[in-house]
This record gives sequence, structure tokens and C-alpha cells, in this order.
Amino acid sequence: MTTLNDYLIASGLLFSIGLFGVMFRRNIIVIFMCLEMMLNAANLSLVAFSRFNTSAGLPDYNGQMLVFFIITVAAAEVAVGLAIIIAMFRSRRTVDVDEISSMKG
Amino acid sequence: MPAYYLEIAVVVLGLVLLLVEAFTPPQHKRRIGWAALAGIAATFLLLLTVKSHCGCDSPMWQFYDDSSLSLFFKGLALLCTAFVLMLGLEYLPVLEKYSARAGGGPATGEFFALPVLICAGLMWMASAIDITTIFLSLELTTIGFYIMVAYMRRNVGSLEAGVKYLILGALSTGILVYGLSWLFGATGQTGLDAIRTALPSAARGPALFAFALILIALCFKIAAVPFHFWVPDVYQGAPTPVTAFLSVGSKAAGFLVAIRLMEPFLAVESLRTTCIAILVAVACATLILGNLAAIPQGNFKRLLAYSSISHAGFLLLALASDRHTGELTSTRIIAFYLSAYLCMTLLAFAVLIIINKSTGSDELKAFDGLHRRNPFLGFATLIAAASLAGVPLTAGFLGKFFVFIAAAGAQQWLAIGIAVAGAAAGFYYYFKVIRHVYWNTAPEGAAAIPVSPVAKSLLIILIAATLVLGVYPQLILGLL
Repeated sequence: MTTLNDYLIASGLLFSIGLFGVMFRRNIIVIFMCLEMMLNAANLSLVAFSRFNTSAGLPDYNGQMLVFFIITVAAAEVAVGLAIIIAMFRSRRTVDVDEISSMKG
Repeated sequence: MPAYYLEIAVVVLGLVLLLVEAFTPPQHKRRIGWAALAGIAATFLLLLTVKSHCGCDSPMWQFYDDSSLSLFFKGLALLCTAFVLMLGLEYLPVLEKYSARAGGGPATGEFFALPVLICAGLMWMASAIDITTIFLSLELTTIGFYIMVAYMRRNVGSLEAGVKYLILGALSTGILVYGLSWLFGATGQTGLDAIRTALPSAARGPALFAFALILIALCFKIAAVPFHFWVPDVYQGAPTPVTAFLSVGSKAAGFLVAIRLMEPFLAVESLRTTCIAILVAVACATLILGNLAAIPQGNFKRLLAYSSISHAGFLLLALASDRHTGELTSTRIIAFYLSAYLCMTLLAFAVLIIINKSTGSDELKAFDGLHRRNPFLGFATLIAAASLAGVPLTAGFLGKFFVFIAAAGAQQWLAIGIAVAGAAAGFYYYFKVIRHVYWNTAPEGAAAIPVSPVAKSLLIILIAATLVLGVYPQLILGLL
């Protein structure tokens, strides 16, 4: 049977892959996908925690409610984020983060 | 009247403004700004009539707090938004230049509706006592700020700042949510009250892991060290009123959330020492980095960015002192420091906007000989710089002084040493600004700098507040 630990290891892996992707990939779109993966890692661990924390045979639904809010917020974030990235692409013709560094100091 | 009507009023105001904006001809967009300002001022007056809990029994109180502390931070958010809207009206000519629509004509209406919606987020943050509401209100402000930072879409700096803020903001959101999920896992609760009772019996490892993740994510909001590297670039690239909003509103609400989320951990005997050690380490690193990096800056906006980081260091030190007795508790010190910070930082940004409007530059060189070109502006810069540095008789001095009292009470001698060195370095780089204003001579043919009546009244209010808080801190401390 799958235990809480299995779910937590899977979510930890997702989170780490996302974090390393954000740090080491150079394409903004890929970075953005990695950020979404980090949010989903949190969702997975929230659902697992709530499923394994039962009271009177029912899971703790507070955690699952938070998951729905996270999904909604992530959608809003993607909408705004992609709009900004498109505006950036229009003016600079690039999605490479190394080329977006005119400010220094 | 229950406190939560205030947020509803602010959200409705924001939505109505967005709707009206769509039918306003481009030459009258300024009126949207005035309407937003009037609405925010009316809400501030309503805030004064709010009574705690109003005797009504509602499930709302499980995730919504209306203690005097929450109401105080709601007031700060409303005041800050009002000042930012006034700065925005002042900044309008620059904004129109860089936000033109494809078919011509400026698109500046949303610039006054979005701060109102962000203000609602800040006010919810002040009241959030459940990890769900904390997450949602944080995201409401952060997503609003993504748009505001990148608002000048014909300006490469603003777009670049927007992309940087977006990536790092989303990264901090991811880390925060993961930390919250572990906090939920360790305690099985989402309400902070329930978490406080469940945390002592929780496993130590997951609890500390959650603490570390949440602290890292909040450092993004308050501009402290592991997550500070976005600050200079975003401050420099964003429209100046938005920079002011980010550095004051976002930081104030972020600190209240930090106080609320850290408090359960600091109350548990077995976690307390470790958590305080981590907080002190973060505070020291923030103080060292903020002050050292500020010294060579020649751009006033970047200087203010590093100054914002170093002030976050002082505030974190007050939080780490964890003082609950006497007249000066950690919470009160932070509330006073943030009020002082609001006055002096907004004053500095107001001067910068006026100067940028007539010279087109944010560099310190643009301040050369300011006291001859406009003596009043020179005086305003003097007060702002003196208060940011912490000269006695200004609000900034008392803020730093209270932090030192708290840190001495907690016997954090090493941190105090670093903070004193940081404050001394602060005197150097803030007085560099004053030198530019009073000692350097203006370049040949430099014209006098005009100040509009609105800007002048704003400057007078902020100067008066900075000086009054510097001699009469009870004005703020008595409210809590």
C-alpha cells in the first residue's frame, strides 16, 4: 500500500526539479513551467497530508480547500505572467534571461 | 460596523473605477486618480468608526482578525495607498510617455484602479490569521504588483523589472506554499490559533523545515537577505510611485504576516532557540549587505533600494528580540518603525518624482545645487535623508533606538554591534545626498524646479509627520 512517505518523496522530487529548473534553465517559458511544478508539488503534499490525517474516517478537508485556492491563484498568475513575457518578447525579441540584464550595480 | 466591510468597500471601489475608466476619454484619465483618492480617504474615515468584533458571532473570526493591531496596519495600508495615488498623479506625464497604446493615446486609467485592489490585498493581509487567507491575500497583492511594476510597457527597464519581479515573486510563492503545506502536515491545522496549540506536540524536523521555507518566502516580501537580489533592479526599473508602494505597503503588510506566522514557532520552548538564531542570522546578513552595497551607489532610486534592505534588517532584529513585556513589545516597535519608515521613504520618493519630472534623471547628480534651484525641495531632501540615517529628533532615530533597546534586552550583542556599524555606514551614504543638495553647485543653466500645489501639500504633510513622530512617538504607540 502507498504510504504518506511515498507521496511526500514524490512531492519533494517535483519541488526539487522545479527549483533546479528555475535556477539553471535560461528560457523564461521553461522557468515559468518549473514554477508551476513547484506549486503542484505543494498541492500534492497538501492533498496527501489531508488524506492521511483523518478524523472520524473523513480526511481533513481544510488542506484540500487550500489546494483549490492554489490552483485558482496559479491560473491568475500564469495569465498575468505570460502577458508580461509576451510584452517583453515584443520589445526585446528574446526569451533568454541572460539577455535581460540592462540594469547592474 | 464590522471591519471586513472595509475590504469589501475597497474592492468595490476598485472594480467601479475599472468600469468607469473604460468610458472615460483619454484626456480625463486624471479624474480616475482623484476619484480613487477620494474613495480611499472615505474608507480611511470609515476605519475610524470600526469597533472590534462588534458583538456579532460569526465563523469569520476563525480566519479574520480585527484586533487593534490589524486595524492599525489597515490604516497604514490605506494611508500608503492614498500617498501613492497622489504620487501617481504627479508622475502622470512620465507615465503617459511610456504607456502609449498601439493606436496612440495614453493608457493610464488602470494605473489608479490597480493600487486600490492591491490596497484591499494589503488590508486582508493585515487581518489574515489562517494560512488560506494569508496565502490568498499575499497573492492578491503580488499579482497586482506584477502588473504595476511592468506598467510602462514602452520602457525596457520597466518590462525587465516586471519579468524579474514575476519570476522571483512566483518562486517565493512556490516556496511559501510548500512551507505552508508542511506546516499543515506537521500540525494538521490551518488556523493560526489552532496551529499555536498543536505545534508543541508536532515533530521537530517538519516544523523547522516549514519555518525555514516560510521565512525564506517572506524575506521576498520584506526585502531581506536570502531573497533580496530582486530589490535594486525592480526598484530602479518600476515606475517611481510603484517603487514607493512596493517599498512601504508591501513591506509593512509582509512584516505583520511575518509576526503572525513566526509567533507560534517562537512560543514553543524546543524550537525557540533555533528559530531565534536563524532570525538573528538573517537580520545580521541583511544589515551587512544592505549597508555595504548602498555605499557606492550613484543612483538615488538604487540607493533607496539598498536602504530598504537595511531597514528590513533593523525590523528583523526587532522581530528576533521577541519581547513581550513592558511598553515596548517587538510588535509595537515594528509598528512604530514602519510608520516612521512610511513617512520618510514616501518623502524621499516624492522629492525624486518631482526632480525626475523636470530633469528626467534619477541620478544623485540631478540633486546638485538643489537648495538654490528650489530651497523647499532641498529642505525636504534634508529631512528625508536625516530621518533615514537616524538623526535625533526625527522619526527614523526613535525607530532605530527602540530596536536597539529591544535587542539589548534580548542580549543580542553581536547583532547590536553589526547594527551600530550599519547605522554608521548609513550616515555616510545618506549624507552624500545632503552634500549633493547643499554643497555641490548646480550645473550651468540649470532652471529652477517647479513644485505643484498638490505635491507641496504632500511634502508638508510628510515632513511634519516625520518631525512629530520623532519627538512624540506616543502618537503611534498609544494606538496599539
